[in-house]
Amino acid sequence: MDELDILKKDWKQQEATLPKLSYNEIYKMLWKKSSSIVRWIFIISILELLFWGVLNILLSDGEFWKRMEIIHLKEFTVGVYILSYAITFYFIYRFYRNYKKISSTDDAATLMKNILTTRKTVKYYVGFIIISTALTSLVYAYFTIFHHAATTEVTDPAKYSFSITQWLVLTAAIIFSLAIFLGLLWLFYRLIYGILLKRLNKNYKDLKNLEE
Amino acid sequence: MDKELEHQFITNLERHQNIAHKICRIYTNDQDSHNDLFQEITIQLWKAYPKFRGEAKFSTWMYRVALNTAITLYRKKKRGIKTQDFDTVHFKLKTEEYDGEVEEQLKLMYAAIKELNDIEKALVFLYLEEKNYREISETLGITEVNARVKMNRVKTKLKSIINP
Repeated sequence: MDELDILKKDWKQQEATLPKLSYNEIYKMLWKKSSSIVRWIFIISILELLFWGVLNILLSDGEFWKRMEIIHLKEFTVGVYILSYAITFYFIYRFYRNYKKISSTDDAATLMKNILTTRKTVKYYVGFIIISTALTSLVYAYFTIFHHAATTEVTDPAKYSFSITQWLVLTAAIIFSLAIFLGLLWLFYRLIYGILLKRLNKNYKDLKNLEE
Repeated sequence: MDKELEHQFITNLERHQNIAHKICRIYTNDQDSHNDLFQEITIQLWKAYPKFRGEAKFSTWMYRVALNTAITLYRKKKRGIKTQDFDTVHFKLKTEEYDGEVEEQLKLMYAAIKELNDIEKALVFLYLEEKNYREISETLGITEVNARVKMNRVKTKLKSIINP
């Protein structure tokens, strides 16, 4: 007899050693909270979408719009807002649709793929936020530097004229702090994404290799 | 109506609970984790139950949801290893039935199964449950060819462990 046949035979005998739960014990379990990864992904994704949405609204108070007018960017900002809201709603819609598709009664590969797609939607959203933040920050920095001075009353011009080196330092500082901020953000997302999906990604790869 | 559904579900699960326990044995290493995973499987089955319309057998449907829970949905809790759980979790052999060599082989194979990755464990489990390749490929969502190749690799792996 082959070793695996012996194993198979013994496997059947193992059934006698398995725990036996009663009707009531099972009944109690029905009302426990799931700790499934899908639940976590859902909660975290909603928090992310909310966080960025709320941050956007909070930052755009009256003061903010006045400043935009000063640096001649009001129209630009309105455009950016409309665009970014449209894109955000599109992402939320996609997220919801993908989330709805997740079903534990699918085969393993489909289930994994749907979870990864759902999470990817949020990842792309965050990517969009980071890139658009970087771009708009640069535009705002540029306009702040070149238009802000015009509205300030200058009493001592020497104070307000920068040498080439000072300009370079300023530009470098802006780019540097922007890079640090975005880098930290990116790290933070890698962390959440890594912790939640490491095992899932690995299993999906293990399952689907040899295919395609 | 809901009470009826609930009763039906619990009766079904009570009858087929072995499927879930066997999966827990393969995927977990201590009693607490076993219970945790069993509970998550129960929750997932219950959540999906309204979609189960009885077009398949409850057991067939249960294999799928329970394995999905173990491989994909379940999030392991971090735990220290508790030595006192060792006996309850590991496979028990009826030593009186086997001669020393076979017993040793079985022990090695069960230990080896625990070392496999999640997908390999699923394959071994479905093999031990005597599922055919069509069922295996449908449960895992891979082609039959892929299932065959993977299965042969796992079998070879297990055999090479006991015959180094």
